[in-house]
Amino acid sequence: MQPEAFFLPALAAQTSQSDQRFCLFYPADCAASGGAARGLVLYIHPFAEEMNKARHMAALQARALARAGYAVLQMDLLGCGDSSGDFGDASWQSWVSDVLQGCHWLRKQSNTPGADSAQLPLWLWGLRAGCLLAVEAARQLGAPCNFLFWQPPAAGRPLLQQFLRLKVAGDLLGGQAKGVMESMRQHLANGSPVEIAGYLLSPGLASGLEQAALAPPAGPGPTQRLEWFELSTREDAGLSPISTKTITQWQQAGYRVGSHIVHGPAFWQTTEIEDAPALITATTAAVNND
Amino acid sequence: MNISQEVLRVVDEVLSLNGRSATFTRDTPLLGAIPELDSMAVVTLITTLEEQFGLVVDDDDIDGSTFATVGSLTDFVSSKLAT
Repeated sequence: MQPEAFFLPALAAQTSQSDQRFCLFYPADCAASGGAARGLVLYIHPFAEEMNKARHMAALQARALARAGYAVLQMDLLGCGDSSGDFGDASWQSWVSDVLQGCHWLRKQSNTPGADSAQLPLWLWGLRAGCLLAVEAARQLGAPCNFLFWQPPAAGRPLLQQFLRLKVAGDLLGGQAKGVMESMRQHLANGSPVEIAGYLLSPGLASGLEQAALAPPAGPGPTQRLEWFELSTREDAGLSPISTKTITQWQQAGYRVGSHIVHGPAFWQTTEIEDAPALITATTAAVNND
Repeated sequence: MNISQEVLRVVDEVLSLNGRSATFTRDTPLLGAIPELDSMAVVTLITTLEEQFGLVVDDDDIDGSTFATVGSLTDFVSSKLAT
């Protein structure tokens, strides 16, 4: 099955240079589910280079979900992939707005078979920083949705630190790295962007990422779900203490939570492009398991 | 815990060496000798070591000598675990 590729016009409030988002839409294959689509899924990609490393896995998972009867939309956020705008133009809120627009498009598009597509469950599927965007978008969406998290960070702060570290590592390879981290932090605090590994990081994006937290949106409906996946190549892997704590918060907020540890490589950061087939199988099974 | 063995396991996994690290000794050079070890891989190595060993790396602690050899990287991790 081939996905449909198209450009989605961005919200009017955004600038004219940044008006198109590249999208891939995988229509639901309803033969397996008795004629009606089972749900809608929006993929929210991770930060910077992790997005490119993860593209293959995202496509494999999107296909698997489509075969299982889900309509899946994969969207490149402002300044990422084949969307318009530069990375340096993106703010945290502009990305959240893109996610919201993806949700609305999925709800409205007409070629999802189903008795009433307004009733189909909407899943926000995030990888890494994409999970943080999913939570913020759900807060602003004001409608119930389910969450599918791949390797979710409990907060954005460590992700920002890892990204800033790329610059330290680059300078380390070139000879001298001392004081680089402090000088970048200073730059951002003064409102200037910094360039890291070919990406221009705006102060607005850095602060949005730094403040993001994986706290459950308040007031979920009775049936809202979170499926939480982590990957490990260790045989004895368990959830980290911070993951356990975060999951407990979601349960206390009323979400039905499934947590899974799956064998596979950290494909969003490995040197070679790698796949984690066990993650695809387990994810499709978990989402499908009403 | 055998720190050296754990460090090598992380190096092998992060750099996708597919077991090549089995022949590595303390004196095996890393930075500048292994083409897979670029800046993104250095960051992934640090992050993975933080997660797997439960330690925190202060970025101004890092310099090229930390990643010079298997031995220097192992010693760095050992020193972080000791503090």
